Amino acid sequence: MSQKSEKLIDKKGLRLDGRKPNELRPIKIEVGVLSNADGSAYIEQGKNKILAAIYGPKEVHPKHLALPDRMILRCRYHMAPFSVQERKSPAPSRREIELSKVIREALEPAIFLEYYPRTAIDVFVEVLQADGGTRCASITAASLALADAGIPMKDLVAACAAGKVDDTIVLDLMDTEDKIGAADVPVALMPNLDAITLLQMDGTLSLEEFEQAVNLALEGCRKIYAMQKEALKARYVNVKEVEE
Amino acid sequence: MSLKSYKEKSGQFVLPGERLGVIEEFIPNSGTYVKSGVIYSKIVGRALLDFLNKRVSVYPLVHGAKIPRVGSIVLGQVSSVQSENAAVRIFKIGNKLLSGFFTGILHISDVQLRYVESMYDVCKPGDILRAKVISEKNRTYHLSTKDKNLGVVYAFCSQCGYMLASKKQNMYCPRCGKIEKRKITIDYGKGIV
Repeated sequence: MSQKSEKLIDKKGLRLDGRKPNELRPIKIEVGVLSNADGSAYIEQGKNKILAAIYGPKEVHPKHLALPDRMILRCRYHMAPFSVQERKSPAPSRREIELSKVIREALEPAIFLEYYPRTAIDVFVEVLQADGGTRCASITAASLALADAGIPMKDLVAACAAGKVDDTIVLDLMDTEDKIGAADVPVALMPNLDAITLLQMDGTLSLEEFEQAVNLALEGCRKIYAMQKEALKARYVNVKEVEE
Repeated sequence: MSLKSYKEKSGQFVLPGERLGVIEEFIPNSGTYVKSGVIYSKIVGRALLDFLNKRVSVYPLVHGAKIPRVGSIVLGQVSSVQSENAAVRIFKIGNKLLSGFFTGILHISDVQLRYVESMYDVCKPGDILRAKVISEKNRTYHLSTKDKNLGVVYAFCSQCGYMLASKKQNMYCPRCGKIEKRKITIDYGKGIV
């Protein structure tokens, strides 16, 4: 795991891309980018480029999958063949199937599923370019797309990862840090309700380090939430003014 | 919070999950939900704080997430017709086009006020139909066309597929001359789907 051939943090305490340990990558979020979808969002987090689209609520087919008391959330996380260095097979891999489930479970607590019984809602997450931390960026984008689709939600979901690199706890790991580093802790948060909807850990951390990493990730989530808010505001407040 | 800060809050842009107040000061209205005594917004919109009636609601800036409800006017394509029933694929609710579709059923007793002999005289597969949802019992949307602006808006010839033209009581095909029957709306062939 810890390959020390390359130093991930230099003497000044800066990371490979010149960030401080508690600094996020530059993030650009846009809402309502796809006209055919009911709701959509696009996020660029460092070199990550991710599109999220929502379709629904719609009738469930085959009908036996429908639930009588609530709607079902179907999620597909998919990486484009050109999203990584080596061509990725477009068929859903084991990892993509797992991430689809993880993203679905991170979004489910934020939605009023019981408002639309016997229907389904489809969430499509397409990773156009991947550079570590795509699951978090996907959750961030998908929750914005849900809000853009006008689906009643308890809260938005913002997600961010923290981890350990060269014995330092750092925020928002990129691909190389994720691969060479010691641990990775992705966290998804509903900021207003102060509830965590996703918490995973990959690698080894001591109890103190884990707590430190989670707190750093939560701090990152709150920063991302502020950006989500700005993105929705830019979409709806400015558009309104132009129309009037 | 002082009254001044509340005044500033009214008309403010809010997101799902944004805190609007507590149940002791406001009655939660549309676009809001209550969790452990605190009122939050559940949609993207503008917060409206009504101090006279002590109500708080969120005016939606996003219009989405529509499903058929009792009373909504829907537009759909007839997918199959039996002697007493017709199945309709609903693709538009009000003026919102759906990305998927819902299935509704039109029963012969809900077609018109007067007696209707056969469903085949009402619509045929492929026709575009405007109807009203009258019930959602047994997990199916029951439709009705008992109104002069409800019924078939576009009909197609069962022989050649050309769009039918209305002629007095009947419908006729300008291409092959076939005479058919439909329950049409008053704006037949004029409306934009």
